Amino acid sequence: MNLKFEEFQKSNLGLKELDNIRIKSFKKFEIQGFPTKKQEHWKYTDLKNIITNNFQNLQIFNGSKNLVYNNKLIIKNFEHNKIILLNGSFIESSFIYEDEKKIIIKSLKSILENKNDFNKIKEYFDDDQNSMLSLNHALTNDGVVLDIENNYSFNKPLVVYNFFDKTAENKIINNKIFISLGDKSNLCMIDFYRCENNIKYFNNTIHNYTIKKNATLKKYNINDSLDNSYNYNSVKIKSYSNSVFENFLLSLGPNLIKNEIHCNLLENYSSCFINGIMLLDGSQHHELKTNVNHKYENCKSSQLIKSVLLDKSNGTYQGKIYVDKKAQKTNGYQLSKALILSENSAFNSKPELEIYADDVKCSHGSTTGNIDENSIFYLMSRGLTKDQANKMIVEGFLNEVIETITDPNVKILISSLFNERINKVNV
Amino acid sequence: MLDIKNLNASIEGKKILKNFNLNIKPGEVHAIMGPNGSGKSTLANVLSGRKGYEIEGTVYYEGKNLLEIPIEERAQKGIFLAFQYPIEIPGVNTNNFLKTSLNTIRKFRGLKELDSLDFLKLVKEKSKKLKIEEKILSRQLNVGFSGGEKKKNEILQMSILEPKLVILDETDSGLDIDALRIVSEGVNSLRDKNRSFLIITHYQRLLNYIKPDFVHVLVNGKIVKTGFSDLAQELEKDGYEGVSIAK
Repeated sequence: MNLKFEEFQKSNLGLKELDNIRIKSFKKFEIQGFPTKKQEHWKYTDLKNIITNNFQNLQIFNGSKNLVYNNKLIIKNFEHNKIILLNGSFIESSFIYEDEKKIIIKSLKSILENKNDFNKIKEYFDDDQNSMLSLNHALTNDGVVLDIENNYSFNKPLVVYNFFDKTAENKIINNKIFISLGDKSNLCMIDFYRCENNIKYFNNTIHNYTIKKNATLKKYNINDSLDNSYNYNSVKIKSYSNSVFENFLLSLGPNLIKNEIHCNLLENYSSCFINGIMLLDGSQHHELKTNVNHKYENCKSSQLIKSVLLDKSNGTYQGKIYVDKKAQKTNGYQLSKALILSENSAFNSKPELEIYADDVKCSHGSTTGNIDENSIFYLMSRGLTKDQANKMIVEGFLNEVIETITDPNVKILISSLFNERINKVNV
Repeated sequence: MLDIKNLNASIEGKKILKNFNLNIKPGEVHAIMGPNGSGKSTLANVLSGRKGYEIEGTVYYEGKNLLEIPIEERAQKGIFLAFQYPIEIPGVNTNNFLKTSLNTIRKFRGLKELDSLDFLKLVKEKSKKLKIEEKILSRQLNVGFSGGEKKKNEILQMSILEPKLVILDETDSGLDIDALRIVSEGVNSLRDKNRSFLIITHYQRLLNYIKPDFVHVLVNGKIVKTGFSDLAQELEKDGYEGVSIAK
């Protein structure tokens, strides 16, 4: 593996401070390399191995001149605002359903060119928890910074389109998304991924969200396509008092995806809900790693993850609830259920509770197994074939999580994408 | 309709049904009564095709060897088993399940599949007739249903699927009087000259509501006595032991 950093660095010279950060961060990455299973947090996803096996010649993506995306990929019959990213770079946005005075949107590229703007986000370049983050700091050249003012509730959902085209082939793309939600503001946002041809690339994105007092961020990750892509997403959230963060992950499509969610409940009565489903076949490898940090009293968190594994697929859920000694009256919950439908598939579940307060309610559970024979028999005794019965049970098993989606229009959208997918899968 | 000859069934080496014989003609209602462990549920399981039994003997259904017919085809060909313990299946909507079931069976019978509108009309009509609240159908299949609701759901399924042979496996157990009445009325409303019923029960009380043509007493895997519906009352009085000893 030979990432040509110097070439990249020279063609991206800008603010002195940023240049130094890039050089420093890339050095850190070079020392550590891609994460391997020897690192605790990467035990179930040996990224170095996966990259070596799937990319002969991975190159740094250094922007493209093409700013034209395929209009047909836009979601139809669904009223929404848009942010469009092509190969990680900001292309355009439209907020036709909103009061645009309340919304400030800038490309990360423009922020990185302005000293004052850059100073406001500089601290986020210090996070070197793993080498993928360092790599991102060194190589990021675009993304989005979105600020929502106080007291503003979106009328319609915002879809962040992450499009990829053939210039991304065999490239590693690094970008960052910043979202800040002011006091008492509400946003429902969908991260939506599409690429036209089945091209192979690696996408490394860092998300940083700030949810201020009494604000609500609902976020939906839709990964139902991009069959040949490899992805690492690190999401960090700062939640202030009385705020709500709801995240649903539809994890169906890519060859590889590792989603990492670090939610910090910093003040009284903030809450975090992470639900998701994985339906994997072939040799897909998906991991969800969550870190919910209860740093203050009276906060609530809940996680429900259901997974179905076929063929040689591999799924992992590592869910951690951390309760600081200050965080009395914490209510934390997590449950993982998986159905393994093939001898060659595997599911790893690692629930963790780390509790330093003494007045808390925390529970976790994890089950992994087969489809219940009695259920199959019941359905077959009503005339369904074994295949129909299996499919109905699997669909029901996963549908229970889809049912938890609180935005009714998004629920319909996700249900229909899920149905498309399950009809293609051979359960 | 159903002709069972010298049926032996064992599970894990333990013989449950021993040279069991039974013949049911179209339109007949047969009740099988017996104490716990006499083989009542095994009979229902074998007829519906549940795996795990070693079976000898013959079972003919409409002239065909039933034991060779796969589970789902038994249902498609008109056999309906009302479960003693209906299974809870999370996430599966009862309406969707029932529509899939009905259309699979209709397709097999060469009938046109029903679209959602026609299906809902049918469900409305049937549930009204049976005095069963329609709303249980919009819930997840049997999940969180009370014992009575589960059994009512079985009866509603029965009336929608219009089977030729109905096997009721202790459908009356755990029912209060009102639910028992609904279940019985469901069965009675479906009685006709072409449809047969095999009612498996522990207690006589269901037979106060459904008058069988024949009552058989099953003890230790064998029918020890056959009579008309008054036999049920006799059993209530003398108990199963009385009957066995009398034999």
